[in-house]
Amino acid sequence: MVSDLVNEKRDTATVTRAERTREGRTYLPYCDILERENELLIHADLPGVRTEDIDINYERGLLTLQGRVDPRREDRRFLMREYGVGDYHRSFEVGEGIDASRIEAEVKDGVLTLHLPKTESIRPRKIAVRSA
Amino acid sequence: MNIIPWLSKREDRRSGPGAESSITRFRDEMDHLFERFFTDPFGMEPFGGRFAFGPRLDLAESDNDVIVKAELPGIDPKEVDLRVEGNLLTIRGEKKQEKEEKRRDYHYVERQYGSFHRSVQLPTSVDPDKVEAAYKDGVLTITIAKRPDAKAKRISVKSA
Repeated sequence: MVSDLVNEKRDTATVTRAERTREGRTYLPYCDILERENELLIHADLPGVRTEDIDINYERGLLTLQGRVDPRREDRRFLMREYGVGDYHRSFEVGEGIDASRIEAEVKDGVLTLHLPKTESIRPRKIAVRSA
Repeated sequence: MNIIPWLSKREDRRSGPGAESSITRFRDEMDHLFERFFTDPFGMEPFGGRFAFGPRLDLAESDNDVIVKAELPGIDPKEVDLRVEGNLLTIRGEKKQEKEEKRRDYHYVERQYGSFHRSVQLPTSVDPDKVEAAYKDGVLTITIAKRPDAKAKRISVKSA
């Protein structure tokens, strides 16, 4: 059954008109977004992308990540091709509460982690109560 | 919430992952159905290798090897269990979340976690002692040597 397999990668064309700078299909990486006390974290699955081929840009409130993937090798005879091979592209709107100048990224085993620190003004603060 | 995955202007971006996925998923499933029908109409896996949560595979042949690839980002390669029995390759393992986080801290969850399991029938007879597996950038590559008798031989035609 098809439904038993890992979800198929989504072509960016089905969601947004991504810029096409290279031939071939472009995919939306699957992402998790979670919130910690002082930052927001994005985990993005970018299997097959080398560290040097990841490109992250922030411009006017839009955070864009791109990953370049080499096409399948042509010298082999393929019997099964169940997953799509192509570049990754996805954008996120970043709100006021994020300090864009301090966004950091790291990658491990095909998973990109973006750290988006919250600005001082929206961090939770403990307010001490003084007795009068 | 301070970060929103950016969708096209035509779609309501406040409606969350559900709205984006239902049509897209349906389309993907249909695409896949057609793709499967045209590439593999009779089903290459006689044992119905697709049970549980199965990674998607590439299966290719070179002159000397059978190469199987799977995109498995964020797994611990030590926890992958690979077996070759006869012509059947079995991949088993578990994809864990980066760190235990409280559920309420997640704004958006798309990535899949949990155990995965997939068995696949290999096209030719292979040598189970000559299996190499490498994990790089979230892609698992398994290279299995063909048995000498399964390698392609070039037969020259002699003219009489």
